[in-house]
Amino acid sequence: MNIDFTKLFFTFLGLMIVLNWGLLMSAIMRKIGARVAGRYGIPWFQPWVDLIKNYAVRSQITHGIMFYLGPVFRLSGGVGLFLFMPILFGSNLWSNFSFQGDLILILYFQFFGMLGMALGAGEGGQPHSFIGISRGLSQFTTIEVPMTLAVISLAVQYHTLSISEIVAAQQGGIMNWTMFTNPFATAAAMLSLLGAFGHSPFDLVKAPNEIPIGPPTEYHGTFLGVLRTNAAILHVVETVLFMNLFFGGASNWFELIIKSFLIYFWSVFVGMVFPRFRIEQSVVWFLKVPLILGIIAILLL
Amino acid sequence: MVTPIFIVATALGVGFAIGVLNKFGRNFTGALVLAALSFMTFISFQWFYALTFNNLSEAYVFTGGFKPPFAINLLMGQYESIATLMINLIGFLGAVYLYKSLKERGSDAQVVYLILIMALNVLVMTRDIFNLFVFSEITSVAIAGLILLEKGTRSISAGFKYIIATSVISTIFLIGIVFAYFITGTLNIDDFIGISLSTYKGGTIVVFLIMISAVLELKPFPANGWGIDIYEASEAGFSAIISAATTTASLFVLYKIMAFAGAEWNYYIALIGMITFIGSNLLGLKQDNTRRMLGYSSIGQVGLLITILGFKDILGENAPFIFFGILISHYFAKAGLFWLSGIINASNLKAWSIIRKKPILLFLMGTFIFALIGFPPFPSFFAKWTLVMDLVKTGNIVWVIGILLGSLFEAIYLFRWFGYAIKGDAEKTEEYKIEFHKIIPVWIVALSLYVLGYFIAQYNEFTSVINFIPLAFVALIFAIDFMPVLIKNTIAIIGMIFYFYTIYPQLDNLRLIFEVIFLIGGILALIAGYLHKGKRIGFYPVALLMYAGLTGILEAKTTLEFFYGWELMTAGSYFLIIRGKRSMTHALSYMLFSLAGAYAILTAFGIASVGQSTWSLSIINNIQYIPLWAYSLLIIGFLTKTASIGLHIWLPGAHAEAESDVSPMVSAILLKAGVFGIVLTLIGMGAENNQYSELVYVLGWLGAITALIGNLAAVFQEDAKRLLAYSSIGQLGYIVFGFAMMTHLGWLAAFTYTINHFMYKSILFLTIGAVVLRVKTHNMYEMGGLIKKMPFAFIAVLISIIALSGVPPLSGFAGKWLLYNAVILKGWYLQGAIAFFSGIIAFLYLFKLISSIFLGQLKDNHRNVKEISIWFIIPIYILIVGLMIFAAKPELILQPLGTMISQYFPEGGLNWNGGMATTSIGYWHGTHIMIIVGIMFAILFSWLAFLSRKAQKVKQFNIVYSGERPFTPETTHVSYNIFAGYNKALGFLVLPWITDFWTLTTNIVHDISGFVRRIYSGNGQTYLTHIVLYVVVIYFVFFN
Amino acid sequence: MINTEYFTLGHISLLLGFILIIVGFWGILTQKNIVKIILAFSIADAGINILIVSLGYVIGKTAPIIDGSVVQKAGIDVSDSIVDPVPQALVLTSIVIGFGVTALMLAYAMKLFTAKKTLHINKFNDLKW
Repeated sequence: MNIDFTKLFFTFLGLMIVLNWGLLMSAIMRKIGARVAGRYGIPWFQPWVDLIKNYAVRSQITHGIMFYLGPVFRLSGGVGLFLFMPILFGSNLWSNFSFQGDLILILYFQFFGMLGMALGAGEGGQPHSFIGISRGLSQFTTIEVPMTLAVISLAVQYHTLSISEIVAAQQGGIMNWTMFTNPFATAAAMLSLLGAFGHSPFDLVKAPNEIPIGPPTEYHGTFLGVLRTNAAILHVVETVLFMNLFFGGASNWFELIIKSFLIYFWSVFVGMVFPRFRIEQSVVWFLKVPLILGIIAILLL
Repeated sequence: MVTPIFIVATALGVGFAIGVLNKFGRNFTGALVLAALSFMTFISFQWFYALTFNNLSEAYVFTGGFKPPFAINLLMGQYESIATLMINLIGFLGAVYLYKSLKERGSDAQVVYLILIMALNVLVMTRDIFNLFVFSEITSVAIAGLILLEKGTRSISAGFKYIIATSVISTIFLIGIVFAYFITGTLNIDDFIGISLSTYKGGTIVVFLIMISAVLELKPFPANGWGIDIYEASEAGFSAIISAATTTASLFVLYKIMAFAGAEWNYYIALIGMITFIGSNLLGLKQDNTRRMLGYSSIGQVGLLITILGFKDILGENAPFIFFGILISHYFAKAGLFWLSGIINASNLKAWSIIRKKPILLFLMGTFIFALIGFPPFPSFFAKWTLVMDLVKTGNIVWVIGILLGSLFEAIYLFRWFGYAIKGDAEKTEEYKIEFHKIIPVWIVALSLYVLGYFIAQYNEFTSVINFIPLAFVALIFAIDFMPVLIKNTIAIIGMIFYFYTIYPQLDNLRLIFEVIFLIGGILALIAGYLHKGKRIGFYPVALLMYAGLTGILEAKTTLEFFYGWELMTAGSYFLIIRGKRSMTHALSYMLFSLAGAYAILTAFGIASVGQSTWSLSIINNIQYIPLWAYSLLIIGFLTKTASIGLHIWLPGAHAEAESDVSPMVSAILLKAGVFGIVLTLIGMGAENNQYSELVYVLGWLGAITALIGNLAAVFQEDAKRLLAYSSIGQLGYIVFGFAMMTHLGWLAAFTYTINHFMYKSILFLTIGAVVLRVKTHNMYEMGGLIKKMPFAFIAVLISIIALSGVPPLSGFAGKWLLYNAVILKGWYLQGAIAFFSGIIAFLYLFKLISSIFLGQLKDNHRNVKEISIWFIIPIYILIVGLMIFAAKPELILQPLGTMISQYFPEGGLNWNGGMATTSIGYWHGTHIMIIVGIMFAILFSWLAFLSRKAQKVKQFNIVYSGERPFTPETTHVSYNIFAGYNKALGFLVLPWITDFWTLTTNIVHDISGFVRRIYSGNGQTYLTHIVLYVVVIYFVFFN
Repeated sequence: MINTEYFTLGHISLLLGFILIIVGFWGILTQKNIVKIILAFSIADAGINILIVSLGYVIGKTAPIIDGSVVQKAGIDVSDSIVDPVPQALVLTSIVIGFGVTALMLAYAMKLFTAKKTLHINKFNDLKW
């Protein structure tokens, strides 16, 4: 592997853009949520303030080595996804390390952060963390089912697993997007996205508004800062993934921002409308309509 | 040469002499009896040797100075010499065993015993049919007389039933003889053969009468209540003689009568035998009395032998080999078992756990049971093999199914009994002593079985190829079993290394992969054995037996060698499994599934050999006769070992309860034998050939569903080892699924899974096993927080679960990536989706495994546990190195694998460009991904470590939970039933309906057995009615 | 029309033999007293013995004991004047065996009675199933 420093620089730059766009996007979404609820909401720069505050906290505690490693795993998962994702279509510099692995790598690299986070939270010894993780993992298994079917459908449709090639195949007009060429797969995947982003009705994992619960319960200070950083990156990278797969990708940063915002907004929108599911409800939900849509997408091949 | 008449003369002479000399005391007369019997044995041995090895021709002996028909003549041919040798030998050994018992009853009993053996000799040798009648009466009278001399009413009523039943049978016999004489004017069997008795007017009725009485003497089911009683009630020594010697003689009588009865009888004889074999063994299922059960087993075996006699014309020149192979195994084994039952003196099966006090007796018992069922290296193995092959070749598959069904019934109760002996809960711990003169004959018959097994194998051209070297090594290890673990373990490891070194150049790449898994994996698992102190009696012989079998499968050039290795492996693994603490039932179900699978394989090999001139294993590449059935049977047989869904119920218990270092042997290693079998079968079907696509399609779905159910069931386990066991089922499901795709990539994925599963499941089972040894529980919710006590164990588990889950950059991802590509290119989308779904479910149980054990709250009683033993850490970390190499340089393994698979699937492989692997749709660079992730991880870790460098380490309970500060680990450690919500949602998929199905099947079979056995009312008169009805029924069946 | 040829000594004894065998078997299968069963067995045994003898019987010939009377009657060839000697020999053996077996059965009956103070065969069914 020859080290290409220009490329490394662009990769780092991309990461920073993604991070900041992720933070801004989360602020916007919280703002929208507040307005829907009739509140004023946070200022747009609140996420940066939180982040800086978290990184600056002076007194911290740790429960052991795995407690340390949890956030590292988690952030590695987010950054890794970014590294293996082609961000902008047609740009070698913005395609990161995507030439080392294909869509399958992306799918499985999601688990890297999840698993590490689960273990780190486990070492905290906080029962709420365990409960959150067990719910999160449970829900995640079935979220992936329609997603898997959609991915298979796509791979067969385009006869490739390379994300860049899938994007390339969608160029030349909006009607070439997967959204129109393979609507069922798109629908299945977009429903599974609701679960992946963990907004209501699939937010039992963290269960905000109740007593603090979920994997990050014990995390604070820099640990929490790392987790928030990751959340920002991850949200953007995942929307970029959906954008690449179903909505024709993006050939410049502006297009990327618009598309990722809309995709993310979809999950927030649903979250505003629907109340929270219990875990067994959400687990089964993905095996109903989304699964059927996914199977139709397969059968129509 | 001493003429055979001296067999009779010696017995009679000594008999009369004892009448005169009994004043010298019973020891003297006893010695005389032994001397006479040894001389008789010598005579028949001399004839046997001369007839077999010196090409002596058979000899007639004429009595009274006349030739037949005016006098009786005896024949000593080759079969006669074998039969008389068997009778006299067991007579001699039986006399040794019964020495004290006969002495107590007096010199009369000694004489009667001697006369009994003599009468059996005459039954074999005589050519005069009236003489047959006379000596069968003498036999009955002698047996009844000996029983009369016993104490107690049980044996007396049994003896009475016996004497009236045999008298009725003899009456029928005599009527037949008289009429035979009336219509032919001769009593000589050779004359009957010459003149074809049944062509005479009324000849068929005469033959019928003679035949039916000969059959009735053999106690055919169901007209045999009197015979079973005698097995149960008489002294063990007599039961042994009746089962071994009398049976041999009676079978010989039937054989002689069949010679002149005409070929039209063969079918009915075979049918009678088959009904007896299946019926008797079915009824044996419900027995809890040892001796009665052995009686059913004896009669069942005789039924099988009768069937073989019925098929003697069809089996042709192999018939004697088959007949004597099974007879001799039955003869030695049953005598040995009856003798043992006399030594142990435990009438109830469950009470046999007291045998454990003397492990050497357990060895003898095991020898006999395995010989009866037909395991290698015993003669019955080769005989049964030849029998099945020949029957299938001649188009008698239905009979084969009957034989295998009966054998399976027999295996059920014999192995259940053996299970009680090895693992049952001893209620009473009665002391028993082994008398020297009683144990010696048992030893002799047991060793004879081994020796004969070896020599019988040399008899046939195709059986002589068996490689006995690994078995000899097992015997060596057995011989030094008294030594400490340190020595035995070292010898075993050196032996295996040496064997691997000598064998690996002979293997092709396919077999080499499996050989590495079997032997190198075996060596690594053995290293953990150094942990054990003391002797660990019985472990090393059986472990090595399994490895001998495993390597035998790989070395096999012929179907026989393959099956031989397969059965050795089954035997060895059975013993390994049953060593676990609560493994009795699991080992039994393992054995039964394995046997049923083995029988399926056996039948398939038989079908494959139709129309082939060779026994080479390559015949399964070109099956000419009903190939779809043959391949299906092979696959079903192998699926029992890979524990695919429906055939998996033995696995969780067997793996979970096994000892810590045994679990990896029976999970990571043993299951791969089934994988190898499936690979062979699929190669046999041929890659280009699409005519079995339905079969592999079904196999693919089966694999996917197995993966789903196995993984899902693992999620809900609370027992760590049981969780891993279910995980193995799921993993094997992927492997089967991958192979079923029958594409290059599918196979590559399956092989990757095979290798990976071997490594990470070895690591997991070894680590968890080692943890269990420290914390003394399997239940995960009783552990917790062990990361602080066992960091090495934690790291091992962490790495292996990352690998298992398929998360990049470790080697599990290679399997996932290949499988995705293969599924998409093959077009098995839905099955593929199920497989991937189950892959994600794996996260649930992996998280539960690692977090419940190592994370969370440390329990108070574990505050002083230490790191797992160094003897486990060594093999675990060797395997981790292997795992990491595979992850960092996957091309090192995948490229040769691809080359190997190209032999079978030349198209659609991976393209390699350095470390970059590409398919027509995807690409992946394992090494670079590893580097990228590694660097990124390191950077982020140092960054966080820098940021939180001042973090303060806090104690265990420094958390706040639901508004309280928790104070006990038990209430704070979340592990028990953590996936309750998931269970609510999807738990219905893993309700134990498969177990219920098998339980129901078992119950139905046992209920039938319990119902049918009520015909044996215990009333002697009812038994006589059975006999009469039996005659009538056979009459109408035969004469339509 | 009854053919009187069938009413020879040979046929009558043959018939008698069969009747005795059937009576004996009937007794064995229906009688409940052990001694009666043994007796029934003896009857069947006797029936067989009669059967054997009658099958070897030839009209107008004498017993196969070679003494003066036989030689007188036959002149030169002894075998023309005697019945078949083999069944005679068989029947002797058969009688001896029957005797032995009956004796053994009676010994059993004695022991069975000592054990349970009854001779009813239905009482001796400890061993079953």
